[in-house]
Amino acid sequence: MTTSSPVAIAAVSEMKPGRYPDMDGYDLYLEVIRQFLAEWSLVPSDIQGLLACPSGMASGGSNDIFVHEQLYEELGIKPLFADTMNAGGSTYGLMVQRAALAIQQGKVDSVLCVGAGKFPKVSTGGAESMARMVSHEIYEFPYGTFIPALYAQVATRHMYEYGTTVEQLAEVCVSSREWALLNPDASTYGGEALTVEKVRQSRPIASPFNLYDCSIPLEGGAAFLICNEDFAKRINSQPAYVLGMGEFHNHRNIHQAASLTDIGCSHSAQQAYAMAGLSPGDIDFAEIYDAFSINPLVFMEELGLCPVGKGGEFFQSGAARPGGDFPVNTFGGLLSFGHTGDASGMSMIVEGIRQIMGIAGERQLDKANAGIVHSYGGMMSEHSTLILGRST
Amino acid sequence: MNELTTGQVAPPEKPQPRITVCAEPYWRHAKDNKLVLPYCSECEASFYYPRLWCPSCFNQDISWKQLSGKGKVYSFSVIYQSPLPSYQADLPYVLAIIELDEGPRMMANILNCDVDTVSVNMAVEVLFEERGDMKIPQFQPL
Repeated sequence: MTTSSPVAIAAVSEMKPGRYPDMDGYDLYLEVIRQFLAEWSLVPSDIQGLLACPSGMASGGSNDIFVHEQLYEELGIKPLFADTMNAGGSTYGLMVQRAALAIQQGKVDSVLCVGAGKFPKVSTGGAESMARMVSHEIYEFPYGTFIPALYAQVATRHMYEYGTTVEQLAEVCVSSREWALLNPDASTYGGEALTVEKVRQSRPIASPFNLYDCSIPLEGGAAFLICNEDFAKRINSQPAYVLGMGEFHNHRNIHQAASLTDIGCSHSAQQAYAMAGLSPGDIDFAEIYDAFSINPLVFMEELGLCPVGKGGEFFQSGAARPGGDFPVNTFGGLLSFGHTGDASGMSMIVEGIRQIMGIAGERQLDKANAGIVHSYGGMMSEHSTLILGRST
Repeated sequence: MNELTTGQVAPPEKPQPRITVCAEPYWRHAKDNKLVLPYCSECEASFYYPRLWCPSCFNQDISWKQLSGKGKVYSFSVIYQSPLPSYQADLPYVLAIIELDEGPRMMANILNCDVDTVSVNMAVEVLFEERGDMKIPQFQPL
């Protein structure tokens, strides 16, 4: 941010994704905040603003559309900036952007961004309510929509336009699993490595996706504190600076997207690069929202990190894996870390922050001076791109 | 599912679209097996789905125009596992985005074909499927 005062993320925490049958969405929120406060030595005056997101949308359960009110009261703070916002998976990327603007305007020195999510098992009827939620009630849902089949439209079109193969899609899953096996917080940690053959032999869901092309529905949540530079440095000697940010809202219903292979990410990415004064060649790693295997493949292209049409070859080359030239989804991705429903858009931001802070444990990258974090909401409908870095 | 007085379970009915005011002609003509879309006189173009204004220029003077009903598959997925009770008997079925010859794209199923024969760019034509007292546009190979 060349023209504005620096903003940085000083503290971060995430629950291990899992099944928490004894907790509803609000209980998860409290547990996320409890863990966050336990990990970072903060006092109430350290939190001047609060942004939260409803936690029960995916499960159709709770209706906590004013959750920020309950959370700031429970925390015992009286914020000068607070809201409950929702833009699906892009919610938390947009929280960073909204909070950064408020901090730069001098409204507040710090904003706690927090999310928690329940995610129903596909077989419980939750998948029907989710299909109803993410497809047009009148012009899509009556045709038997199902979330994997909506994303599959993007995959099928990419395969048609660029010759991308199902084996290349499977390589995305293989790469993510390799990273997850290095992340003790990932749901598949301690499990088996994936192979292209295993992905292709898993049961078909919606062509071209098989079971392992789909992320793992779980529950969890995360929190981070975004601050002005002085405030951040008091809490953390190596905060994650927000160097660039961009957003773009392209469509709501997948059939309305003008293109399925240029779906809006490039617009938010261009804004982020311009603000950061960086180009794709300056980026060391990428954390990308990956509900399905096609996502990182398409977004690598739209982020300018590999040539258009070559996303499949990129993943096939092994570059994204541990030890590769350009690490992608170093936490294991939603594909192998776990997808925490309403909080899923947190996980790639949390990992971007940790890599920049240098606290990513066994999977810590040698070179993590600048990373890009892309998240989206809906059916790749609305986009948030962040560029995080070690210095301004 | 509805429990009948006989104790039998009726097959679940597929979703019936809600008719909005601006889309009334679309559904009325569908009942006569005609694909009719809103048409903007300023843009000289049909658009989908029906809205109260033209999404390209905000013109609210919308007329209706019958389309050829022919188009091509823009993209698709063969669904092998569906959470929708009313679609279980159809598995595997095709969910597709159709690009009409006149330009607009719409979502539909592709019926009356082997799912393994569906491909991008395949030529298709509209047909109409009964849903309760309505009919909804669907497509089949041309």
